[in-house]
Amino acid sequence: MIKFNRVDKWYGDYHALVDISAEVARGEVVVVCGPSGSGKSTLIRTVNRLEEIHKGVIEVDGADIHARGTDLNRFRANIGFVFQSFNLFPHLSVLANITLAPAKVGGQSLPQARESAMALLARVGIADKASAYPQQLSGGQQQRVAIARALAQKPAVMLFDEPTSALDPEMVGEVLNVMKSLARDGMTMMCVTHEMGFARDVGHRVWFMDRGRILEQSTPDEFFTAARHPRAQAFLSDLREH
Amino acid sequence: MNVFSFLTPDHVAVLARGLSFTAAITIASWLLAMGLGMALAILNESGGRVARGVVAAFIAYQRNIPVVAHLLLWYFGVPALLPKPVQSWINVHNGELISVIAIGLCLAAYFCEDIRSGFRSIPATQHEAARALGLSFLQSMRWVVVPQALRIALPALVNHTVLLFKTTALAMAIGVAELTYVVRELENQTFRTFEAYSVATVVYLMISLALMGAGAMLARRYRIPAR
Amino acid sequence: MIEILRTYGTLLLIGSYPEGPLGGLALTLILSVLGVGLAFPLSIVLALCRISAYAVLRVPATAIVYLVRGVPLIMLVFWSYYLVPVLIGRTVSAMSTLVVTLVVYQAAYMAEIVRAGIEALPNGQTEAARSLGLGYARTLQAVILPQALFNMLPSLLSQFISTVKETSLGYVISVQELTFAANEVNSSLLIRPFEVYLILSLTYFAVCLLLTRAAHLLETAILRRRAGRSTTHAYATHDQVQPG
Repeated sequence: MIKFNRVDKWYGDYHALVDISAEVARGEVVVVCGPSGSGKSTLIRTVNRLEEIHKGVIEVDGADIHARGTDLNRFRANIGFVFQSFNLFPHLSVLANITLAPAKVGGQSLPQARESAMALLARVGIADKASAYPQQLSGGQQQRVAIARALAQKPAVMLFDEPTSALDPEMVGEVLNVMKSLARDGMTMMCVTHEMGFARDVGHRVWFMDRGRILEQSTPDEFFTAARHPRAQAFLSDLREH
Repeated sequence: MNVFSFLTPDHVAVLARGLSFTAAITIASWLLAMGLGMALAILNESGGRVARGVVAAFIAYQRNIPVVAHLLLWYFGVPALLPKPVQSWINVHNGELISVIAIGLCLAAYFCEDIRSGFRSIPATQHEAARALGLSFLQSMRWVVVPQALRIALPALVNHTVLLFKTTALAMAIGVAELTYVVRELENQTFRTFEAYSVATVVYLMISLALMGAGAMLARRYRIPAR
Repeated sequence: MIEILRTYGTLLLIGSYPEGPLGGLALTLILSVLGVGLAFPLSIVLALCRISAYAVLRVPATAIVYLVRGVPLIMLVFWSYYLVPVLIGRTVSAMSTLVVTLVVYQAAYMAEIVRAGIEALPNGQTEAARSLGLGYARTLQAVILPQALFNMLPSLLSQFISTVKETSLGYVISVQELTFAANEVNSSLLIRPFEVYLILSLTYFAVCLLLTRAAHLLETAILRRRAGRSTTHAYATHDQVQPG
């Protein structure tokens, strides 16, 4: 579903992504973790081309998103992206946030879009907030709206960039529950997150990144009990101390 | 000093005609200024160094030169450069068209800066989130960035709209029969300076206040709800 | 265009001096300095009245500011032309009329700037000064105004630039400033209006651009000076995703 083939990226002189080759299969849930500055966010942002790459190929659902002449917008409509700071549109109601893209890009009629949006809101558990504005919602509710917004165009892949890092602890659970139910329904997901419980519950594989490289790819069980790379082990022991 | 005796049907007709010119020039210049200002602001957002340089040069040129000089250049200077048939067409329409062009271009620079200032207040992540949904650059501008930027820029835009309205009075310098011009003519004919000027002053004041009031209403109507 | 500059350069720069009165760009600058210079103290008085607790001061001050700002400048010029001789009792030159108009106009605009500057100061400043026993006038003179005016310097400088542009209205009442001089040149030449008025525009452009740059430098210097005092920065860092 997502294929990285020898991907390199530089910020000026800084080598942000180093010779990345990896694959996310259809229906797979991959959790990307690692210390701060390891390139996890950069990597996931290259998948829908919010970041450019300098070498290598990234394929999503068979097509090269970084190729010249790609219809970038149609591509992005097929990829759902959830940001760390939600990035909901404050001048639009919750419902309008969700119907905007399907109506303008997906060619749906407004009533159609509204119907699907209400169904999505019900699925993430906040159908009653449809006419509220984002600023009036709690952080956890906003992020769930953001997930619904990303799901509205029925993407083939969902990308999550530290979706719970900006939330107060008591709201992390409600967002993770939505993500877990998506995973169980068979969505292909790539998640940058520190929530190891999530990785253990629904993750198929864990990628450990450090300084721009993927140092280890293993199942959650293997990773948490018997990580091979010394830096992965150091990272895990740091996590446990907290 | 009786203002009401000054307002005979004849005089009122003359004043009304002048005011209609003022209104026409105001509306036409405003449309030009808003359209061009918005286009330049969006060009500035999307374009590379060249586009930004062009926009910056345009704004600097328009803002550092008084409107009177712009009017004189357009009215006396530009027609001399054009072929004769175009010149005679311009002469038929006299100063109104020229005023609209000169004032519209000048105020476009002000509106552009106000809108750009609005853009700067919107975090780049809003545009990014819209693009991530598959909206094109222009769609993202139209549905996400510009609606928010306009709300922020509204007070400045209203102020400059009032400025644009007052600037139309300068068209009298090139002979356009707008309100100030006809008031001066009436004053020359009747020698009732105080009454004539008072009427003009009151009209300008009322319209300025009305514009500011309309701006306040717009701000309330389109307010983004807070927490 | 170069020949026009060579032949009429002095006319544009200093008018018909020394055979006649000073004119051209020199007069434009003098009028601007006079206008802003005289308007400044008036604007402070007006601003203080605007925020006064006494309605007898506040209401007329507010009315004046709204009146002056709601009416086109050229209308104010005509009012002055008519009213000033009536009030003074003798005829007044066109130049004096223009200066009076500019002073009143700029005083109203600058009063709003000064008012904003005063209101932007924390209440604590006034409270501290009064607690020390300083009276109202002393507090103003020693504590409030120096700070407010320092902060407002860039805005006040940009008002000066506006005034330079506003002097062009002198053309309508035959004050011999730069625009009038350009018009005279055009009346002599007749066949090169585009060049003449382009020179006029570019002259204003050069002068105002220089002044705008100076205002930017002033603003940077003020920000640096202010930053040196405080340790906080007013940058918003929300919505910044940490590169992971």
